[in-house]
Amino acid sequence: MEYILEVFLDDYRLNKIKGSPVEQNIEAIFGGELKVLRVKVGEEVKNEILKAFETARIDSRACITDTPVAFKRSLFEEIAKQKSLDEEVVKAVLAKIEEIKQLAAKESEYLPPPDIETD
Amino acid sequence: MSELYFKRPMPHGGKLVERVITDKKVAKKYLKSCEKYCAVYDIKPTLHYKRGVPVRNVYREIMSVCYGFFSPVEGSMTSAELESVLTKRRLLSGWVFPYPILFDISKEDYKRLGVSEGDRLILRLKGKPFAMLDIEEIYEIDPEELANRTFGSPETNPEVVQEKFDDKHPGWVIYRSHQPIILAGKYTIINEPIFKPPFDRFWVPPRNCREIFEQRGWRTAIAHQTRNVPHVGHEFLMKNAAYTGDVEPSHGILVNAIIGVKRRGDYPDEAILEAHEAVHKAGYIKPERHIVTYTLWDMRYGNPLESLLHGIIRQNMGCTHHMFGRDHAAVGEYYDKFATQILWLKGIPSYGFDKPVNEVDGGLLIRPQNMREFWYCPVCKEMAYSENCNHAKQKEKLSGSLIRGLVAEGVQPPTIIMRPEVFKVVVKWWKKFGYPFVNEKYVQWKEEELEVDLPDLD
Repeated sequence: MEYILEVFLDDYRLNKIKGSPVEQNIEAIFGGELKVLRVKVGEEVKNEILKAFETARIDSRACITDTPVAFKRSLFEEIAKQKSLDEEVVKAVLAKIEEIKQLAAKESEYLPPPDIETD
Repeated sequence: MSELYFKRPMPHGGKLVERVITDKKVAKKYLKSCEKYCAVYDIKPTLHYKRGVPVRNVYREIMSVCYGFFSPVEGSMTSAELESVLTKRRLLSGWVFPYPILFDISKEDYKRLGVSEGDRLILRLKGKPFAMLDIEEIYEIDPEELANRTFGSPETNPEVVQEKFDDKHPGWVIYRSHQPIILAGKYTIINEPIFKPPFDRFWVPPRNCREIFEQRGWRTAIAHQTRNVPHVGHEFLMKNAAYTGDVEPSHGILVNAIIGVKRRGDYPDEAILEAHEAVHKAGYIKPERHIVTYTLWDMRYGNPLESLLHGIIRQNMGCTHHMFGRDHAAVGEYYDKFATQILWLKGIPSYGFDKPVNEVDGGLLIRPQNMREFWYCPVCKEMAYSENCNHAKQKEKLSGSLIRGLVAEGVQPPTIIMRPEVFKVVVKWWKKFGYPFVNEKYVQWKEEELEVDLPDLD
């Protein structure tokens, strides 16, 4: 079975991959309101991710979700660096897993809230 | 016409259990008479058998029993009742009940308390008297066996169980983390806890809930189970499932959240309740047709078994219908995605149901409304029901996890996915806790603070 890692793109990220071959793989979803890149991985890599992160899970769309922000950030950086959406980019991220786990440990304590007005 | 109307179902078991002494004078008398002869036990959280973090607090079960959410259960189960629940999913009285409800203590505490059958035990919460347990039986369990038998296995329950339960399953962990000595007997609350905000305004025990339905003229009401902040898919599930009624759509939607220890990555309880409230405050569903409430329970994530408990709770609250979606109260891939719907439509013989839950002796009266799923359809340009929309190839599925991913990265979900008013609530509690989701810190804090404080009885 194939599993998917989604990488959401904001303006900063869109800029970073501008002109690269992955730009053609950008998908617009939810009526064009979200832009996303999709990386497909096999069973082995999926298991490695689930093992590495306690919160990670597979959702109803076969997407691997709830991975730490540090992992997602690193995944995007690797995509931008390798200009590819192959499974290899995930393997490159997993090669730095200890470093990512350290960052993830910090982010499990605090994440800065967005600056929007609340009651 | 009236013969086509549905009647509000009776409470499960025939009458609502209410084991709360509300008169402080009477409560004090009980306590006074206990001073010399009763042992006192301070309720502690159940800790994960390996990791030592809180996974449950039995106070939530005592509340749910004594205020009637779990009617007809009246207390901690005897060994015969436990056996009956594990083998047949029936109480000794014959009424369907899915889970063991137990008051468990360690061998050391048992020794220290020196209690025996026939004794009354005073249970303290946060250092103050809370409830009494009249001990009928004391027995020992093997927590691992209890956990395995509670959920079953692919061998014993091949119809729906796909994987062996293990310590990745939070419900299995709760039973595996039980202490080995069980004190069985009825609970009585002698000191009503005071709910803290925002829990206070959503606390609606079954009797009050039935009264509200009566006052609002709700002949039919459909229950919505939640442990999540609502995205637009949930909202559409609620609105569309509520088209079911008798001769007209359901008069009301009862949102009943499960409040208790959550998994890392879930939303804080406070955000869940207020986010559902935001749905009607912002008018996406009329407040006259929508009530937000909760039940105290450390969720066992038992998919079909959990759906039985949900049916019991919401029947007790007076609902005529209960909506069930895919992966109901599920985690991981332990169960078939539609295990709950199989149980309510066909039955699961290995769990004791050779017929649907509504057709077995001692079964439920609340009607299931089994729903498939909603997705965003870019062709229809709307949130579409999977059984109506013929654009399955183009579908864009919503999932809580997708939204959590956006939230964690600080991206405001598009309004087609999450209402801005709901997102505001998420951010409100994010600012308070420094984190948008349940993390270790929140669990520790929450389990120390709980949802309640106890008043002085003096």
